[in-house]
Amino acid sequence: MPFDQTLQSSADRDIINNLLQQGVDRKRGEDLLFSRYAYFIEQAVHKYSFPEDEAFNIYSDTILSAVPKIIDGSFEGRSSLKTWLYQIFHNKCVDLIRKKTTNKSSVHRTIAFPDVLAHIADSAKNILQEMMERTDLDLVKQKLNQLGENCRQILWQWAEGYSDKEIAAALDYKTADVAKTSRLRCLEKLRQLYKANTK
Amino acid sequence: MDTFLYIDTYFSTEPSSGTKEEFEKRITEDPAFAEEVAFYLSAKQAATGQLTEEKNERFKDVYARYKKTNKTAIQKPVIRKLWPYMAAAAIIAGIIFGWAVFFTAASPEQLADKYIKDNFQTLGVTMSSKEDSLQTGLRLFNDGKLNEALTQFESIANRDTSSPEAKKYAGIVSLRLLQYDKAITYFTQLGNTIQLYANPGKLYQALTLLKRNQPGDKQAAKVLLQQVVQFDLEGKETAKELLDKW
Repeated sequence: MPFDQTLQSSADRDIINNLLQQGVDRKRGEDLLFSRYAYFIEQAVHKYSFPEDEAFNIYSDTILSAVPKIIDGSFEGRSSLKTWLYQIFHNKCVDLIRKKTTNKSSVHRTIAFPDVLAHIADSAKNILQEMMERTDLDLVKQKLNQLGENCRQILWQWAEGYSDKEIAAALDYKTADVAKTSRLRCLEKLRQLYKANTK
Repeated sequence: MDTFLYIDTYFSTEPSSGTKEEFEKRITEDPAFAEEVAFYLSAKQAATGQLTEEKNERFKDVYARYKKTNKTAIQKPVIRKLWPYMAAAAIIAGIIFGWAVFFTAASPEQLADKYIKDNFQTLGVTMSSKEDSLQTGLRLFNDGKLNEALTQFESIANRDTSSPEAKKYAGIVSLRLLQYDKAITYFTQLGNTIQLYANPGKLYQALTLLKRNQPGDKQAAKVLLQQVVQFDLEGKETAKELLDKW
């Protein structure tokens, strides 16, 4: 379904247009979106009596989960951006209250597995989940920092969901294939660094 | 790297059912391959985590700027921050009030004006069928015919030099006509009349001096008012009030 812009204010349309771009423009779109509805934080402080930093984290999480939905078209514009965003924010607030009241926050400290696993048969998925749970993510992050700026940037772009063509354009690789080869090399290098520490 | 290429191709395209089956079979049967797939996904997760952390830091800056430019940021502290302003406003209001009370309070001259306005606009006329010359003067005064009234009272005062009432009214009309010297003369004569039970002569003389306001008048008025209070003369309360504002 095509995106319906009629319900969006001109400011929101500008934000959405920025988010649909790449690189600096998208970053700017994220910052604008965050800033535009940052008063939700204040509302959560009063309505749910959250400490400000907790309300900030929920709002930040809201923006981070909303941006990919805007980019991939999941947000179809059938409500205003504000209404849609507030719904996500409100749900996250309620989730946190539930977790707090049922003390489930300590129980549910599990890894959020990537969506791609949903398409894999259970037998294979269980094996992968088990292995991922054993992976020391903090160590992987530490090794990511050791890779150097170029590798880190290309892997960040990949993690953000950019295609190799987009990565090539954003990071000045000649072609998408060159970007892909570089990315996989960085991944291999990361694995070697990680393995060297876990042996 | 070939393995990563295979894994990457699998996750970045829509695999056919055959490819999917083969991929899943390798995971279950080849632990080394499964490790590679798990690492591939974990690396993406770690990169996503770093990216999120980086964005969170950026959002913190955005929020700090937002708070700086939008004073509505968090209302509770804002409410607390209002107290200094409210306290400052109260102090300023207090200063203004104090200034109003202590510095803008009526001066003796203003009080004299008020007394004249309150008491010398109209004068009491006796309800009598017999119209004497004093009543005529009073009626003329109350009708606003001040010059005629003065002529009338002066005529009586000249005819009967012992008439304190004629002198009193002649002085009052002179005061209303801003003929202060004449008023002072009449009130002085009135004040010196000893046969009156209630003699406002000194008070009226003091009021007139305050109105005339020539050099020495204010001091002379003060002495007269002090005499009114000291000798318990007519208008003692008014004299006290005037002296309090000195």
